Amino acid sequence: MSTLDPSLIVAAAPAALPAAKAASPTKAAFRQFLRSPSGVAGAAMLLVLVLGTLFGPLVYPVDPLDIAGLPFTPPSADALLGTDYLGRDILAGLIHGGRATLMVGAVAALITISIGVTVGALSGFFGGWIDSALVKIAEFFQVLPPLLFAMVLVTLFGQKLTTITLAIGAVSWTAAARLTRAEFMRLRDLDFIKASRAAGAGNAHLILRVVLPNALPPIIVSATLAIGVAILFEGGLSFLGLGDPNTMSWGLMIGQNRNYVLDAWWAVTFPGAAIFLAVLAISLVGDGVNDAVNPRLRRR
Amino acid sequence: MAPVLRVDDLSVSMTSRTGELVPVLENLSFTVDKGRTIALVGESGCGKSMTALAIMRLLPDGFVITGGRVLLDDEDVLTARPRRLRALRGNAMSMVFQEPMTALNPLYSVGDQIAEVLRYHRRLGRADAAEQAVGFLKAVQIPAAEQRAQAYPHQLSGGMRQRVMIAMALACRPKLLIADEPTTALDVTVQAQIFDLLAQLQDETETAIVLITHDLGAVAELADDVAVLYAGRCIETGPAQQLVDRPRHPYTSGLLACVPHLSVGTARPEQWVDLGEIPGMVPSLGARGPDCAFLARCANAGAICRSRPQPPLHDITAGHAVSCWRVAEIAA
Amino acid sequence: MNLVAHILGKLVNAAALLLAVLVLNFCLIHLAPGDPVQVIAGEMGGASAEVVAALRAKYGLDRTLFEQLMTYLHNVAGGDFGYSYYFNEPVLGLILQRLPATLYLAFSSLIAAVLVGTMLGVVSARRPNGLLSHGVTVLSLAGYAAPIFWTGLMLLLLFGSVWPILPVSGMADVVNPKTGFAYLLDVAKHLVLPSLTLALVFIAQYSRLARVNMIDVLSADYIRTARAKGLPETVVIVKHALRNMLIPIVTVVGLQFGNLFAGAVLVETVFSWPGMGRLVFDSILRRDYPTLMAVLFFSAMMVIAANIITDIVYRLIDPRIRAGAR
Repeated sequence: MSTLDPSLIVAAAPAALPAAKAASPTKAAFRQFLRSPSGVAGAAMLLVLVLGTLFGPLVYPVDPLDIAGLPFTPPSADALLGTDYLGRDILAGLIHGGRATLMVGAVAALITISIGVTVGALSGFFGGWIDSALVKIAEFFQVLPPLLFAMVLVTLFGQKLTTITLAIGAVSWTAAARLTRAEFMRLRDLDFIKASRAAGAGNAHLILRVVLPNALPPIIVSATLAIGVAILFEGGLSFLGLGDPNTMSWGLMIGQNRNYVLDAWWAVTFPGAAIFLAVLAISLVGDGVNDAVNPRLRRR
Repeated sequence: MAPVLRVDDLSVSMTSRTGELVPVLENLSFTVDKGRTIALVGESGCGKSMTALAIMRLLPDGFVITGGRVLLDDEDVLTARPRRLRALRGNAMSMVFQEPMTALNPLYSVGDQIAEVLRYHRRLGRADAAEQAVGFLKAVQIPAAEQRAQAYPHQLSGGMRQRVMIAMALACRPKLLIADEPTTALDVTVQAQIFDLLAQLQDETETAIVLITHDLGAVAELADDVAVLYAGRCIETGPAQQLVDRPRHPYTSGLLACVPHLSVGTARPEQWVDLGEIPGMVPSLGARGPDCAFLARCANAGAICRSRPQPPLHDITAGHAVSCWRVAEIAA
Repeated sequence: MNLVAHILGKLVNAAALLLAVLVLNFCLIHLAPGDPVQVIAGEMGGASAEVVAALRAKYGLDRTLFEQLMTYLHNVAGGDFGYSYYFNEPVLGLILQRLPATLYLAFSSLIAAVLVGTMLGVVSARRPNGLLSHGVTVLSLAGYAAPIFWTGLMLLLLFGSVWPILPVSGMADVVNPKTGFAYLLDVAKHLVLPSLTLALVFIAQYSRLARVNMIDVLSADYIRTARAKGLPETVVIVKHALRNMLIPIVTVVGLQFGNLFAGAVLVETVFSWPGMGRLVFDSILRRDYPTLMAVLFFSAMMVIAANIITDIVYRLIDPRIRAGAR
């Protein structure tokens, strides 16, 4: 009675498939992402926004800082989305401002994640006093409300796009650090990591080549979401009057026009809607990525 | 005298993702009398736990009862209105679950969780209920019961927690106790204690017990009757001693052969170390046709088994029924 | 258990953190481009030459950095957070005047958000694929993506011009000042829009979190046990499920207090609510650094206080934490 029933092999096959797919996790994750309707919708929205800011000026060649008409011109044939309190074209502002806003978001998120992952990785990998010290530092940063801290930094160091980007990146890394640390602590004690260590792998190799790749999925998700958060921060700072006055951005448009909201609703509504759509698109993408890289959680 | 529990033709199905009904349990019937114990045995996934949950009407989402009756003292549980059902649960029928680690709410003291049953079913005041809860903790042989009543689940060992679960289940002196693999999650030494406790409490309370287990040692010791389930169907049922001594279905024989040594009353087998005795696996849900479900794994299968659907249970002696075409030939 | 000792430990830690915030403030003042005295006086405060000289003497700006730090800490310990030359008032007074209005806004929003968010989450978790469940998903996405100041402006637009049934500015009617109960009612009316704006963001987050947790908790074994005991459904939900579900919510509420406070600052700016937000806005406009620094310090203080409260609540809810004292 040692012959295997062929029907059993067939029954066992589906269980073996995911393991075979795992040979190329990136490809599998990408395929999974394409299966998430919200993720694809978000990616499409984001693509439209990015293409709009890149090629919009070719289609709609109006300088966003020029006076294009009378102040407070409502949306009309002359100015599709109206003009602001100085008579500058809103649509042109959206097109050019999107570039700055999305750029600030992406770069600030990159900074946030770099700091967060570095701190979290060192902390979770080494443990001991390094962990205690880094956790203390993170605790300190967690106590400062990120937006207010960024606001103080920008006020002190100047309202330039680079300063704003750096400030946003520097204040909100604690979440990424917490996440990375937890992931590293979990992975550190797994057998295959121990095996690498026993095989004589150095710490740098272990961190960068062994643990980090395995910790990446949740980090990628949080990096995606960090872009959205950074865009919201840029908006918040600009709204408080801390935008870079020489570079048009969505936040700046709202900040400069907010006092006239009752006279010209279009001047704040459209830039705000742009931010809303961008952040929405990014968080949809984030959800899709999450589904793709954490198959276990897909049901949620 | 009517049996405490009569299960008639109980069938349970799972709703698949496409909305089809996939049978999980088919036409199960058995009865339990006052003070008696029936054991439902079989491998994981054979429908034992679903039977228990169906009787309590606690089936998880996606599972539906597609037919049959469950009579508790001649009252059909399956048609009881929610209010009546709540009055029965924890009171006339109660259940001990497999995982004592997660079956207790981590945020309330165990005394409180026992007292709760008394407060709702017996309408006792807070103080009275708390006092009686301590009494029940003593009854399940928990030392320093007064202090332990204040303890939270995480402060107790697995065995202690299962004792608490038993105290909770028996607090209202139910007519029927369903114990769903009550010892699987526990250490071997503790397993024996829990079974002894159940036997002792049954002597005192005359509760009818449905014991779900795959521990055939426990079956021989505790059960009066046994029903063996395979792939959602009952394939052999009869008096415990008779069935253990002279199993008639090849699957039952296989199960018994998996138990290392079955000298009753001595050391209990640790696990089914030798499960290799029955090659293959239980057919998966939805892959169960009208054929004998055990066909693919059966060493005795013959032409008749392949050409006909699984036979219904038929009596071979009084009270001992088997579902096998070749039962007469295999008998030996 | 030894809750007191635990809280004492937390307080010592809190003091250390606050000291660190002060050191950070000091470092920032000295790292910022330009003359520290400019920073301390505020660029547009109109501080005269004599004032500048006096400040130099007071903060010992010609002495070593360490001595300056000590002077700074000494001043703060005495309640001296500097002087706002723009408002012409000590900073501490400025902040204390406005703090209540901000706390009022922040807490009313927080309470509303926790109540509404939890309720939405709990109700929608009963039917994970129901209409309400999808509604919660959409709301949480929208609430997360909409910039809070924009939501505020949109509400202001709606209630300011389209459908003027609620006041959109300030904390009380200044044209026809009211007294007694009518005054409270008036303030409550003024509070509706700012509080709603701020709460929306957190309702979005908590409802999603509550929904996920509740679905989790409802499938837990102890809920099945509670049902097997024949408990009424309300007891199963309220006693056995809700409390377990709240544990992660409490954690998140504690973690997000800083965001709540920052959100309040933005919302106040939209609706001219006379709290710290307005002060922040004016201070930024006037480059009034001492006020900004003090705002950062006080907001850190409130976050720390919120963390300690969260920790206590956490212990009250979860016996596992209580017993497993570190």
